[in-house]
Amino acid sequence: MATKSISAEFTKGFWDENPVFRQLLGMCPTLAVTTAVINGIAMGLATSFVLIFSSLVVSSIKKIIPSQVRIASYIVIIATFVTMADRFLAAFFPPISKNLGPYVPLIVVNCIILGRQEAFSSKNSIGRSLIDALGMSCGFILALLLLSSIRELLGSGGILGHQILGSWFKPWIIMILPAGAFLTLGLLLGLALFIESKTKPGR
Amino acid sequence: MNLSARMIIVLTSVGLISGSFLTGVDLLTRSRIEANRQREIKDAITRVVPGTETSNIVYEEKSFTIYEGKDKSGQRAGFALYTSGTGFQDKITLMIGTDESFSTLNRLFILEQKETPGLGAKITEWDEFLRFWENRDCSQSLSLRNPPADSPDDLSYSEVNTITGATISSEAVLDIVNFSIEKAKTLHKEGKI
Repeated sequence: MATKSISAEFTKGFWDENPVFRQLLGMCPTLAVTTAVINGIAMGLATSFVLIFSSLVVSSIKKIIPSQVRIASYIVIIATFVTMADRFLAAFFPPISKNLGPYVPLIVVNCIILGRQEAFSSKNSIGRSLIDALGMSCGFILALLLLSSIRELLGSGGILGHQILGSWFKPWIIMILPAGAFLTLGLLLGLALFIESKTKPGR
Repeated sequence: MNLSARMIIVLTSVGLISGSFLTGVDLLTRSRIEANRQREIKDAITRVVPGTETSNIVYEEKSFTIYEGKDKSGQRAGFALYTSGTGFQDKITLMIGTDESFSTLNRLFILEQKETPGLGAKITEWDEFLRFWENRDCSQSLSLRNPPADSPDDLSYSEVNTITGATISSEAVLDIVNFSIEKAKTLHKEGKI
């Protein structure tokens, strides 16, 4: 794994190992909060904050943690950063905190974060872990942005509260309901696999 | 060092360090979070009791608070009831504005809800729902008009409108309001307010 160049380590999160489209991790926030772009951005940033700082801490103390208690230690570290993010949002961005509701505390159980600690940060240097976390965060934010843009555009007729589609457009309420989340994600996953099979024949 | 001791030491230290960090974060954010909540409640009181300049709590229990709204000269402008109940999906929290004797409902304001977007969530919209709740006679229990009326003038003073396609959400709000006003009246009679 250490043979990858720094730039490849960063960009793998965008497509080849995109947490949402390729690894199918973090489905709960992906489906639940992407009703509007602003929620998607806030969730993406909060998750990134937790992922980046957890990776930094885990990769710097990996040698002193006995492997038997590593998962417990990671979870405590992750939960600390999640609580910080949750309190920060509640204090400085109360409307967003309200919209995201229980999904901010639920970042604790987001598999992207524990998954990266277990698969990467616990085996790699601090620098590489940071690059990996940044790349994965960007990939996750991109996926949430894509999903929430489609859902908000079709479900409310605009993006970030700005009306884009004219008054002729009757919003598809289903797109902001859970069913719309599954439909959008399913179609995007299909599209991702299709592109993958076209660009990399033999896979 | 044997393994058990190492495991205990590492986990305990991780827990202690995390705990102390969180204590710091709590100290930094607590007052701000509380201030946000207070501001939200104050805004809601000003909305539902017209003319309110200051307000104070006259009765409080778990998830039911009665605020007294006072105008510029310190005279009582009305009461605001902060209350909540079960909606279609989740808890609905609302603020009800009434006159001094709890017999006229001035206005209603929804603070928190998770009803279906596009249907039940219309309970937060002025045009679709809340304007039909202005100046209602709540000396008796309020009732729902279903099928809904087009304008508040078509309703009798003790009636409010149903949202088409969201009867359960409309009924939920009505039940919370009727229950809360009844409770406030009882407290008023008992001299607790």
